[in-house]
Amino acid sequence: MPTIFTVDPRSGVPLYLQLIEQIKRAIALGMLAPGEQLPTVKALALELTVNPNTVARVYRELEHDGVIDTSPGRGSFVRSAGAGHEARQALADVARVAFESAVREAKSLGLSREETHELMARTIARWYETENEAE
Amino acid sequence: MTAPPISLNGLTKRYGSFTAVDGVSLDVAAGSICGLLGPNGAGKTTTFKCILGFANPSAGTIAIEGAPLTPATFETLAYVPERATLYDGLTIADHLTLYRRSYKNFDPARAAELLSLFSLDGKQKAQKLSKGMRTAVAITLAFSIRPRVLILDEPSSGLDPIHQRHVLDLMIDAAANGAAVLFSSHQVGQVERAADSVAIMKSGKLIVNSVIDDLKSGEKVIEAVFAGPVPDLGGLASDPRIVRIEQSGSMLRAVTRDDSDAIAQRIFALHPKSIRTIDLNLEEIFMNAVSEGAR
Repeated sequence: MPTIFTVDPRSGVPLYLQLIEQIKRAIALGMLAPGEQLPTVKALALELTVNPNTVARVYRELEHDGVIDTSPGRGSFVRSAGAGHEARQALADVARVAFESAVREAKSLGLSREETHELMARTIARWYETENEAE
Repeated sequence: MTAPPISLNGLTKRYGSFTAVDGVSLDVAAGSICGLLGPNGAGKTTTFKCILGFANPSAGTIAIEGAPLTPATFETLAYVPERATLYDGLTIADHLTLYRRSYKNFDPARAAELLSLFSLDGKQKAQKLSKGMRTAVAITLAFSIRPRVLILDEPSSGLDPIHQRHVLDLMIDAAANGAAVLFSSHQVGQVERAADSVAIMKSGKLIVNSVIDDLKSGEKVIEAVFAGPVPDLGGLASDPRIVRIEQSGSMLRAVTRDDSDAIAQRIFALHPKSIRTIDLNLEEIFMNAVSEGAR
């Protein structure tokens, strides 16, 4: 598997959360295909120079979220059954985080609920229209 | 459950009326890397000296793989001191030979691999080596005995950034193979990267001992700006989830240790003009901890 993850250990966002988000994003965007094998905990820890227990925690949480399957002795794989659904779910997760941070930012800048609503409606209109024109 | 490979219980070391290490209890599990941070004089090196048997604790106990130090312990225990102690008259290769004779787990192939990783020439005499090269020799020796317990005091002192990264990778590799690693560093970024847990010492006391990601999840700054002066905070000031509150004029800053979302909701109920939650990295958490003292 090529290197597709970049984490920033110096960020205040816990490393395991950064990595979970990135793996979900990679699955949602098809960079990791259903059934594809993930690196071992040790291999990924060494590739990113991060703690192995942190990577192990990431794999445990991804398994708990139904995104990957881990079988002892064989390794971790992107879940095949219902992969489409899981990928969409993962994508929605990534989008939700981005969305939340945008709304939080708007609020922190002192925008009213109505102003934030209007800003979002305009943004949605712009991006979804662009898509329709392209089709 | 097997005993943690490194276990300190109430470790205390006094020199006359000075207490260098004051009741430190700390476990490092197999497969775990614990980064020890603290200002100079906090007691980090004295703690290591006690673990290695160079200093006799005044109180408390130390167990390596569940037992007090015996000659057999040293077969599985590797130590890299802050200043590498080498035999100035001997070459690097001579040092490897000494280790091969002393440690039955010594792996010559591994040693050769590490020498080339650190661009060291076995024929060089220790006397001629720079500080960083001496550190690299000490690290080569330590990792060549395939230790199950590793104690490293400032393991990257004098090393360039590439060799520093190699040291982190060696610790990660050892932990992934089940070793317990305890290392001190003044570079918070190294601890943040390689360690899963952090221990912070100040004036001999252990003031923080936690999983780094859990610390980051809990410790946040909530900053709120009000239209006028900060209103009466009611019970908020005594909320146990808040470490401290700072107020100046219309600005309120609350440092949380847990549940920052819930605290932000409570502050939001006071109708601030704006509010935001700021993530803290380990350096900021460290600075907060040592400036506050014990908590």
